[in-house]
Amino acid sequence: MIEFHNVSKRFPGGHDALTNVSMHLDKGAMAFLTGHSGAGKSTLLKIISLIEKPTRGQALLNHINLSTVTKSQIPYIRRKIGFIFQDHQLLFDRSVFDNVAMPLTIQGYRHQEIAKRTRAALDKVGLLHKEKSLPITLSGGEQQRVGIARAVVHKPMLLLADEPTGNLDPVLSREIMQIFIDFHQVGVSVLVASHDLNLIDELQKPVLTLNRGQMIHNDLDYVPDFLG
Amino acid sequence: MAAGNIRRDNPATSNKLTAYFLHHLQSLVFSLGKIYSAPATTIMTVAVIGITMSLPGGFYLFLKNIDAMAGDFRSSTQITLFLDFGLDEKSARSLERQIASTANVKSTQFVSRAASLEAFRETSGFGKSIDTLASNPLPHTIIVEPANNADTFTIKNLLNSLQSLPEVDIAKLDTEWLERLYTILEIAKRAVGIITILFAFAVLLIIGNTIRLDIQNRYQEIVVTKLIGATNAFIRRPFLYGGLWYGLLGGITSWIIVEAGYMAISEPLNRLNMLYQADLVLITFSFHDFIILITSSTLLGLTGSWIAVAKHLNQIEPT
Repeated sequence: MIEFHNVSKRFPGGHDALTNVSMHLDKGAMAFLTGHSGAGKSTLLKIISLIEKPTRGQALLNHINLSTVTKSQIPYIRRKIGFIFQDHQLLFDRSVFDNVAMPLTIQGYRHQEIAKRTRAALDKVGLLHKEKSLPITLSGGEQQRVGIARAVVHKPMLLLADEPTGNLDPVLSREIMQIFIDFHQVGVSVLVASHDLNLIDELQKPVLTLNRGQMIHNDLDYVPDFLG
Repeated sequence: MAAGNIRRDNPATSNKLTAYFLHHLQSLVFSLGKIYSAPATTIMTVAVIGITMSLPGGFYLFLKNIDAMAGDFRSSTQITLFLDFGLDEKSARSLERQIASTANVKSTQFVSRAASLEAFRETSGFGKSIDTLASNPLPHTIIVEPANNADTFTIKNLLNSLQSLPEVDIAKLDTEWLERLYTILEIAKRAVGIITILFAFAVLLIIGNTIRLDIQNRYQEIVVTKLIGATNAFIRRPFLYGGLWYGLLGGITSWIIVEAGYMAISEPLNRLNMLYQADLVLITFSFHDFIILITSSTLLGLTGSWIAVAKHLNQIEPT
C-alpha cells in the first residue's frame, strides 16, 4: 500500500525533515508511527497525502509514484485515503450528517447512496443519534468520532491519522484506537501517527519510530534471526 | 499504475452527468443559502452593486427620453417654400397640390401673400407702416410637413428637390438647432458609454473583492475539502454561483432604484404638462432593456467572481 525508498525531504532553508527513510506498509496492514515532536511524523504523512513532495527518493502509494502525480490527479488519489486530524477539522456551519457526507458529495454519489452510507458510518462510530446536531454541541471525543466517520464513509483503502488522540483522555483515546483496529480487521490499511507510547504498547501492532528524520526502529521490516 | 486508472469512476456513483448537474444545482442553492444566512453583508454588497449600476442605467434612460423628445421635434419639422414673386395664386395653388402628392410629404398648407401680410400686420406691430407700402412685398408661401417617419437625410433630400423647383424662390428648413441637439446627444451617448464601461469595471471589482473575502473566510473549509479529494472545479462552483447571485440581485436593485427615481420625476413632470398643455411622457425601461440590465449584471457578477476565484483559490493548498 505504502512504499518509501530512501525518501528525503529538505525544506527550503535547509531543514532536513526526513533523511533516507525506507518503509512499507502492506495492503490491509496496520502500524503506528511514533517519534518525538519534530521527528518527521507529520512530514511523512504529508508526503503520502500529497501535501508535500519528497526531495529525493521514491514514495509510492498503491504503486503510484507520488512524485510524478499531476495537480489534476491529486484529488482522485486523495479519495482513496481517509484522513483523521488531531483537531478533527470539522466544519461548524453544518450538521454532523453533512460533515460526514462531504467525501461522498464531492465524489458525486447519488442522494440515496449518500444517506445510506453516511448513516452506516455514523452508526459504526456510535453517533447515529447525533446526525442532526451541529459539531459544536458535541464533546471532544464525539467530534473526533465524527471525524473518523467522515474519513471512512467513502470506504478508503488507507486510513491516515495524525495524533488522533492528542486532545483526548486515556479512556476516550482507547475507544478511538479500538475503532481503528476494527477498520483494520475488515481489511483497511491503517497508519496512525501518535506519541502515546503506553497505548501503542497495549495494542500490539507494528511500530515505526522516527528520530530527527531518520527511521530508527521499523517492526515492519523486521526479519527474525532464524529466517535470516 | 497508469494515470488513466487514477481517475477511475466509482461504480456507486450515479450517472456522472446527472451527478454533475446535481452538484451545480446544489451549489446554486447552497450559495443562495450562504447569502441568506449572512443578510447584512449580502444587503450591503447588493446595494453597492445596485447603486453603481443604477447610474449608467439612469443616464441611459435620461438619454432615451431626450432622444424621444428630439424625435417629436423632428416630426414637427416644417419646410417653408417662398414662391417666385411673379407667380399668380392659381398656379401657386396647383403647385401646392402637386407637392402634396409627392413622396415623404405628410401635408401641405397654402398661405397666400394677402394672408401673410394680414398675419404680419397683426403680429409684428408694424401695422401702420405696412399700410404705407405701395404693394404687398410678400410672396405666396407653401408650408410643407414631411412624413412622420422621415429621417434627417430624407428631409434634406426633400428640401433639395423642392428648392430645385422653378416656381420656388427659397426653400427654408430650420434644422440647425436640431442638428446641434443631435450632435450633443451623440456626445452624451459616448459619455454614457464610457461611464457604463467604468461602472462595469467597478462592479467587477466590488464582486471580486466580496468573493475574495468570502474565500478568506472559508479558508479552513477549502483546505479540508481539498484534503478529502475535492477538485478545484468543485470548490470553485459555490463561489461562482455566489457571484452570480450578487450580480443578479444587484441588477434587480439598480432597476428598482432607477424606476423609483423616474416615478419621483414623473409627478412634477405631470404638473409641467398641465401648465404647458404639453404631453411629455417619460419612457422607462422596456422589457428588452430590463433583460439586458439583468443579464449584464449577472454576467458581471459571474466574471468578477471568476477572476477572484482564479486568483485566490489555487493559492490555497493544505499544509
